[in-house]
Amino acid sequence: MISVKELKIHYGEHVAVDSLSFSVAKGSVFGLIGPNGAGKTTTIKAIATLLEPTYGEIFIDHISVLHQPEEARKKLGYMPDFPPVYDDLEVTEFCDLFAHAYGLSGPERIQKVEECLVLTNLQDKAKAKCKTLSRGMKQRALLAKTLVHEPSVLLLDEPAANLDPKARIDLRNLLLQLASAGKTILVSSHVLSELEDLCDAIGIMRAGKMVVSGGLDEITSITSAERLIQVEVVSACDQLEACLAKFPSISKISKLDGTGKRFSLSHSGDTKDASSILTSLIQSGIPVASFHRKQSKVEDLFLDVEAGRMKKNFNP
Amino acid sequence: MNPIIVKGIRERLRPKHLIASALFSLIIASTLYLSAYLDGMQSKKVYDYSSKSHQVIEENPVNGARNAFTYLLGFQGFLLMFIGTGRVASVTAEEKESGLLDYQRMTPMHPFAKVTGYLFGLPAREYFMFLLTLPFLFHCIVIGQLPWLDLLQLYAVFFSSVILYHLTAHVIGLVVPRPRAASWVSRIAVLGLYVFLPGLGQAGISFLSFLTILPTYFGKILPHLLFIGENKLGRFEAKVAEFWQDVPFFTTLISPSVFTFFMQGLLIVTLWITAHRKWRNQALPAFSKPSAIALYSIFQFLLLGCLWMFFSEGKSIGLLGESFSMNKMDKTDPHLAFIVVQSVFFGLSILSILPLINICCPNQHLFLKGIQRSRKLALPKVPMAADESSGAWLTLSLSILTIFVHAVFATLINSSDLWTEPATVLDTILIPGIFLVSMGLSLQACRELWFNLGFWGFISLVWITPLFASLVIAVGWSDQHLGLILKLLALCPLSILPLHLLAEYPPSLILSDDVKASIDEAVWFGLTLSICLTLILHLQLYRRRKQGY
Repeated sequence: MISVKELKIHYGEHVAVDSLSFSVAKGSVFGLIGPNGAGKTTTIKAIATLLEPTYGEIFIDHISVLHQPEEARKKLGYMPDFPPVYDDLEVTEFCDLFAHAYGLSGPERIQKVEECLVLTNLQDKAKAKCKTLSRGMKQRALLAKTLVHEPSVLLLDEPAANLDPKARIDLRNLLLQLASAGKTILVSSHVLSELEDLCDAIGIMRAGKMVVSGGLDEITSITSAERLIQVEVVSACDQLEACLAKFPSISKISKLDGTGKRFSLSHSGDTKDASSILTSLIQSGIPVASFHRKQSKVEDLFLDVEAGRMKKNFNP
Repeated sequence: MNPIIVKGIRERLRPKHLIASALFSLIIASTLYLSAYLDGMQSKKVYDYSSKSHQVIEENPVNGARNAFTYLLGFQGFLLMFIGTGRVASVTAEEKESGLLDYQRMTPMHPFAKVTGYLFGLPAREYFMFLLTLPFLFHCIVIGQLPWLDLLQLYAVFFSSVILYHLTAHVIGLVVPRPRAASWVSRIAVLGLYVFLPGLGQAGISFLSFLTILPTYFGKILPHLLFIGENKLGRFEAKVAEFWQDVPFFTTLISPSVFTFFMQGLLIVTLWITAHRKWRNQALPAFSKPSAIALYSIFQFLLLGCLWMFFSEGKSIGLLGESFSMNKMDKTDPHLAFIVVQSVFFGLSILSILPLINICCPNQHLFLKGIQRSRKLALPKVPMAADESSGAWLTLSLSILTIFVHAVFATLINSSDLWTEPATVLDTILIPGIFLVSMGLSLQACRELWFNLGFWGFISLVWITPLFASLVIAVGWSDQHLGLILKLLALCPLSILPLHLLAEYPPSLILSDDVKASIDEAVWFGLTLSICLTLILHLQLYRRRKQGY
């Protein structure tokens, strides 16, 4: 549905996006991850027809964004990272403006606006002025406006950035619902754990390049071998280190404080191995208070990329 | 109805806004109108210049209404032209900066509809306040016995001016990044383009005067605002009303309203093209190469039409123009008038070529993009008319157009009996021609070699610094360093051509042979340096392109 080929974008002398290629299948959710300045927003803006690439091609459902931008725009819904709204319009009027601009009229327009407000849980704020909304609500109003013309492709730049935890869960469920209804979603985010729950595929960008991209399962299998496990015991215990030494997958044990109750283990095994470590600790009578892997696999991968540990492109 | 206009009405005309703006408009309009009406109605004594005696004007409501009309028109202009213009520019820039404009850009509405929406939606409150002044206007027309047809012409020109100003503001809002800056830049641009630039009309280039409602107001309405009992307009009013009568254009005369519509229509079309391109894609240059040539051709045509009578018969209009008119000057010295008007012509042409080259010539990246795209489309080279193609042919076309119009002027003046000395083709056409081509090509090379900073740096270094340096030297050591001052002046494209004209057609001002020789030497120095600079820059451009930048 979305196909980006050899995309290059220059801002004067600065290369914001360099030879970027990826594709997103119809009905799937693709997460674009990267540190600030990686080129995520620039890429999304180029797909949204708002930035002309220096080189490369972008297709939306086989329509060239460069050569037929008007056609492509009909299929696109775009939501930027900072939610600008018309402050002096009511939420309904804000959505109605775009429903009108996209050619909807009469009762169909009114109905569509109401549907979108219900979908984004804004029906109670329908008559509120946009300027009175919180940032999270503005984000939802923007999403309602984005959905009003039923776009088949949604481009969401940091959509959860200003939302409270409940609104994030609601947004995730809504996006999953939209994806299951056949919409193709490209989403960028810094909340990596949420992307894991939401996306079918992800791409990690660094300095304008796609360092890793592919299906979630595929790319998490390539994360660096070692990962941290944090262990906390109820009281200091001498047996702990002896018990852990039995596992070759643990390369290093570090004390996190002077009490001898909190440890960090450098672990290179899989989840099954981690489980057997925990079982062994409990069976040895060590009073384990908590045992958890410190980061998600995507977070590990992201940190690897950000630290420059993954320099070569990897596209499984 | 246009959704952007609906948005403007919803945003800016809610009940509380309506009450506040209605109060503002009614209080100011009624205060202005009634004060002027009551003042004008009273009996008074006026001085009649022709009879050199005082004249008593009886108390009459007609005079009151006629007196109030100008104040009312001024207030209406303030609402729509000043407040409205600032509003359009600042909101356009604000929406561009925040990203709201991008939402609108992505909708499938035609760019024409979007521009219309912004032009009439953003100043919705100002239009409402204008509407509230209409009862005063009707009272004024009926009581003041003002001619409907002339007023209709005036208000048609008024609204075309409002659209022109708002469109200028919208385009500035699309181009200037910061909202506050856009608001002020638009007001300054409106003042510059439509108030100061028309001042050049006084130097004989009459078409520049027809960008405002002033010609129609002074030409059509002012004579009808004469008080009952008053014999004729005051001395100044009469002079101004006389100036803005029919406009000489080539060998015919055109009504000021028609000419104003023509001029404003032309600018509206130009600005509309820019707005349309910017709405389609913010990154596109304001003009395509063909539209830049079309625009410049029209500009040259207007210059030709307005100056035709001056060069063929020595007739000119305008307060300054009249002073420079050959009819008024000593017949033995027509050259000075020729030099002044030709210098204004060259100055205006060069100052028009500069932004066109800046807008239409591609920078490095755009040029590379063109090559890559043409390869992808299997084209042998980038199409000439494309934004990405080199601007050399555009520069040559603009220079040739200027030389052509200059040659027509030279031919006209040579064939008129005002000219005392025959001029050679080399003097009149070839030297200015070579200089214009060289200057244009060096600008084009700069634009295509460097980004904005480099381009404007070059302009300030080559155009502005020598002028300032010559000024400082002239103030301090004019006697000792005349040659140096002239050479510095010859480096700047704006001053080299007047110097050349001065050397070739010395007026009967006292110019010693030494001074004449120094001017001649300076012109050749400037010309040689300009050609060398152009060659160096183009060589560098060629090398860079060969290496793929």
